Amino acid sequence: MKKSILLFLALLLIINFAGCTSRDEKPTAQITAEDWNSILEKAKGTTVNFYGWGGSQKVNEWIDNYVSRKLKEEYDIILNRVPMDIDDILNKLLGEKQLNSKEGTIDIVWINGENFFTAKRNGLLFGPFVDDLPNYKKYVDTESIEIKYDFGFPVEGYEAPYGKAQLVLIGDQAQIVQFPRNHEELFEMVKNNPGKFTYPAPPDFTGSAFVRNIIYDIVGYKQFMNMEADKQKVAEVIKPAMDYLKKIKPYLWQEGKTYPATVAQLDNMYADHEVFMTISYNPNHVASKIGTGEFPTTSQAFIFEKGTIGNTHFLAIPYNATNKEGALVAINFLLSPKAQASKYDPKNWGDLPVLDNGKFSDEEKKLFHDVKLGEGVLPQDILLAHRLPEIPAHLIPIIEEIWQENIPVEGE
Amino acid sequence: MGKNMVFKIIFNIFLLLLIFPLFIILLWSFTKIWPWPDLFPKAFGLRGFQYLLNPSNNSLRILGLSIWLSTVVMFIAILISIPAAKALGLYHFKGKGFIKTLILAPIVVPTVAVTMGIHVSFISVGLANTFWGVVIVHLIPCIPYSVRILTDVFEIMGNSMELQARILGANKMQTFFYVTLPMLAPGLITAGSMVFIVSFSQYFLTFLIGGGKIVTFSMVMFPFIQSGDRMMASVYSMVFIWTTLLILISVERIVKSYYKGENYFYL
Repeated sequence: MKKSILLFLALLLIINFAGCTSRDEKPTAQITAEDWNSILEKAKGTTVNFYGWGGSQKVNEWIDNYVSRKLKEEYDIILNRVPMDIDDILNKLLGEKQLNSKEGTIDIVWINGENFFTAKRNGLLFGPFVDDLPNYKKYVDTESIEIKYDFGFPVEGYEAPYGKAQLVLIGDQAQIVQFPRNHEELFEMVKNNPGKFTYPAPPDFTGSAFVRNIIYDIVGYKQFMNMEADKQKVAEVIKPAMDYLKKIKPYLWQEGKTYPATVAQLDNMYADHEVFMTISYNPNHVASKIGTGEFPTTSQAFIFEKGTIGNTHFLAIPYNATNKEGALVAINFLLSPKAQASKYDPKNWGDLPVLDNGKFSDEEKKLFHDVKLGEGVLPQDILLAHRLPEIPAHLIPIIEEIWQENIPVEGE
Repeated sequence: MGKNMVFKIIFNIFLLLLIFPLFIILLWSFTKIWPWPDLFPKAFGLRGFQYLLNPSNNSLRILGLSIWLSTVVMFIAILISIPAAKALGLYHFKGKGFIKTLILAPIVVPTVAVTMGIHVSFISVGLANTFWGVVIVHLIPCIPYSVRILTDVFEIMGNSMELQARILGANKMQTFFYVTLPMLAPGLITAGSMVFIVSFSQYFLTFLIGGGKIVTFSMVMFPFIQSGDRMMASVYSMVFIWTTLLILISVERIVKSYYKGENYFYL
């Protein structure tokens, strides 16, 4: 009896392992041979399932209203937005890949950074496809580092740019006379106003970016671009920045004994006037929060003189998307000046455009020129002039680890 | 008398502790700004309810689907649980204790780990991304509750009344419908409500197995809670709480009206 159970269990194990064999097959890119008109024709009357983060009312509304309507009107495509976190999307795709399931439910996924790296390495993405998109060829600066690399990973045409983000600090002008222009002025200000400033604890996305920005401000950014993932080396280089964060700690909110766990928490603390500054990776965040009435109208975004970190977010197509044609048409539409200008409008979303200003006709330039920037937002040219590249993604967990070792959080 | 008073005070304190947070949520769902250290919100708005009622984002249709899904789960779970609970409550057999513990396994073992495997199997049998796939996977965390609750009810009931009915000439069906079920009714209400709540609040299971094809209310609610938009989160929570409350009340009403006039002579 026992033996037969053992045998059965062993069999189960074998079956399990047998299930994990398929990997690294290059998705075939048959569509690429067809010309754009036949893609448009095929996409007609289809539904495109768009998966991505759904935590912002504004972003959701922009996709549900503007993008859906335009796609229906112009291409006869129905857009179905599904709110799903990227971790869940990747889990789902990894499960499907394991079985080599050809009938996926996702047609477009909103992605970037290490998630893109994971997806591409595991063969979860269809491509390269960006060169098939007329608008990509026409409007995007294909040689730009921010388009060619995603957190240091070569994109190689497996994802199309969607928008740009940049870290900004947001302060209340009613409480701050002069915004700090670098880390030293920030320290002076915080020292004189103890308890009124803090940042989300890494690995919160924004908190981690803020720490990187402090590192950039103190030791510069160039040396990180080709740095290998050696913890000791990284720790040595960023030591001055860690010393700075230790020095500022006692003057933070709750004397630095604890940090907000998420940027959402910091935003709420700022809205409640508990602190006088918050941080955002979306330069137009301040306008939308003033718009919803959460932030005081005296809020203003600002950046450091040496600049702040920016990144690009992308759209990709899963290897098993059942409506690749529809996905291509929808992504191409999202890369049009019209869509990007609408997205740039803080009334809609307020996300920075990814298109190259130099490639626009006068009419297209006017589209962007006419966008009224929201209250408290920095103009695009100032942001772009002070934009620093993201650190290669493999260094980010190391920096977060060093932060956690050096800046102890009490009462965890 | 004095003891009664103390009990009443404690009861009311607990009631207050339970209801007060709900009141805060209600307030937040209309609150635009509520800066520290004000005791009351400074400005009110309807942004949250406008979004909820806006047909373009389908919130109400999703709510309807969620209710339907959880109701189906509730019926199936009860259907499975009645015989299982009867066996565990009334019969004596070898390994009963072991099976009783095993039934709690879905609560003890982290569902996340198991669901990843289930997802893979569901893809191969074609249940992934379907309504019934989600129903089946919801049964996993629901059944322990319904079986446990009904087992206790069966244990209290015993089988003497059923035997009595049989002796008096009722056949098996008659015994079940006229004796067992009415006596079980209060237990059914509790178990059914519990199953509904557990199913209605499932997030990760629905995500993975439903694959975005089956979108439930908790799936649209969760991103708002996570992103810290307190107004939206409160609006969705309000709807969530009221929905479950209304369902619970109606389940109780329906079951009670069906078996009205019966005397429950236990507990």
